Amino acid sequence: MTKPSIPVGILCSQSGPYQAMGREILKSALMAVDEINASPDFDFALTAHVRDPRGIIAEYHTACDDLIRNTEVNHLIGCYTSASRKQVLPIVERTDRLLWYPARYEGFECSDNVIYVGASPNHNVLPLVRFVLDNISRHIFCVGSNYVWTWETNRVTRELVTAAQGSILAERLLELGESAVEHIVSEIVRRKPPVVFNTLVGSSSYDFIRAFHSATTAAGLDIPMLSCSLCEPELKIVGPASAGCITSSAWFESIRLPENRAFVARWKARHGEGSSPSVDGQSAYVAVYLLARAIQRAGTADIDEVRRAAVGYRYNSPQGPVWIDGETNHCVLTPRLAVSNAQEQFDIFWEAAAPVKPDPYLSQLDVAVLPSRNEALPNAPHLRIVK
Amino acid sequence: MSKPSSFSLRGRKALVAIKDERDLSIVRRQLERLGIDVRSWEPGHGIEPHADIVLIDDEFLPLNSTIEHIFHGGVPVVALLGTETPSRLKLLLELDPASFLVKPLRSAGIYAALVMAFERNGRTNELKEQISKLEQRLRSRRIVLAAVLQVMHLHSVAEPEAFALIRRAAMERRKTIEEISAEITARGSSPRAAG
Repeated sequence: MTKPSIPVGILCSQSGPYQAMGREILKSALMAVDEINASPDFDFALTAHVRDPRGIIAEYHTACDDLIRNTEVNHLIGCYTSASRKQVLPIVERTDRLLWYPARYEGFECSDNVIYVGASPNHNVLPLVRFVLDNISRHIFCVGSNYVWTWETNRVTRELVTAAQGSILAERLLELGESAVEHIVSEIVRRKPPVVFNTLVGSSSYDFIRAFHSATTAAGLDIPMLSCSLCEPELKIVGPASAGCITSSAWFESIRLPENRAFVARWKARHGEGSSPSVDGQSAYVAVYLLARAIQRAGTADIDEVRRAAVGYRYNSPQGPVWIDGETNHCVLTPRLAVSNAQEQFDIFWEAAAPVKPDPYLSQLDVAVLPSRNEALPNAPHLRIVK
Repeated sequence: MSKPSSFSLRGRKALVAIKDERDLSIVRRQLERLGIDVRSWEPGHGIEPHADIVLIDDEFLPLNSTIEHIFHGGVPVVALLGTETPSRLKLLLELDPASFLVKPLRSAGIYAALVMAFERNGRTNELKEQISKLEQRLRSRRIVLAAVLQVMHLHSVAEPEAFALIRRAAMERRKTIEEISAEITARGSSPRAAG
């Protein structure tokens, strides 16, 4: 007997400046759809309607409108940058649909028509900057893409660093897709900052990491680099220069959980032994499962009932237990820190003791009470190998 | 100790007067997410003695005199607009709102409206303080002029020199020029002998 079908929209750019990340999100979302359709645990099948806005902001609006009008989806999975999400937001709110947004983002939004599956700023920026203040330096050189993710990440970094009597040595911005990185690399080699925080995205980031690696190696410098977004497929794109980057993320391929090992094995069987899922792809996979389980529990794809069924329901995902916080529509998940190695993987050296509640408005952040450097940081990450 | 983040609103108290239940529940949810303590008010009920910010629905205007005082105590007001007609705006303007939201509400925009209201109110209060200081100084200009004339007469010096003497005396005694001038004119003495 064929299972009844429920349409879902998938909005992912497969060309444009962040095409690599968009493709990874699509691959993982479709893998989840296929698994759910083949699983006896679900008494329905999902029909994926994929649209490619090609990285063009205005096309997100058109593609979303088309999905809602012509395929009658109640649920959409996708968008990558905040600009793309903001394009879609008025339509999903007006038509009362639900967008399952997989990417980690800068926070300061809480729509009732969005489920934010990726990391909130308290999951990624805070642990990373606190680790740096506690273990590396209070003086940070920032380089990033000129858009909201970098602006807000730098704003939070500056508040934390300033409260610890440190400083932002520079804040260099490049337009999305810009590849002229040499002037920034030269400045870094000349000024020798103790640490560089890279919030560039896509090809700009890959160009920067390669140029940074070759210039600092030639100058005999050992400057650690930080990232809140670097992922395994990008390490493969960048090549050997990508090793040694301290990265904050809720998911790494190297997480030693049975759910993750099985997920990675299924992925590799599907896409090749040499390939890796991305953090946002894994998050899209989690999003599809959270959605499907909520539909199963609710017995309908109606968004009010799905939302009610989805909130608080714990899913043992590849990244560990994940559930939706009903107050914010963001996910409770486990922050981790890792350093990239020569095998294009991450060695995890810290993870939170338990899943952490999302704080999209950083309302719990009080930099005035953060201990200054050299004092004990009760919640700060300390170096240890996580087996 | 560094300054707490001005973008964190946790621990503040909001008085919320909103008629529509859906709008009220959206505001309540969003304020709770921000860690703000929410008190709701309806016409005919008593008013919370202390609030850090007030959100008021234009449906409740005009206000009766018993609660109007809360809007004149230096507390920032966020106006909730249902219509942009000048007659309604006129009523709202009487409350001197620091920012506004357009109904029907959505969660987006509320945080920005609150941050803007607190910031606007802080800057307005600073300006008010500055203006009252300037007014005070303006009022005492007459006394400074009288003191300068007195010193010019007593010491047979020109105006710039007389003023310099008064300023030096003020600095030495850690007083304002206006205070020293008042002493000089009161005693009819020179700056040094004053006090």
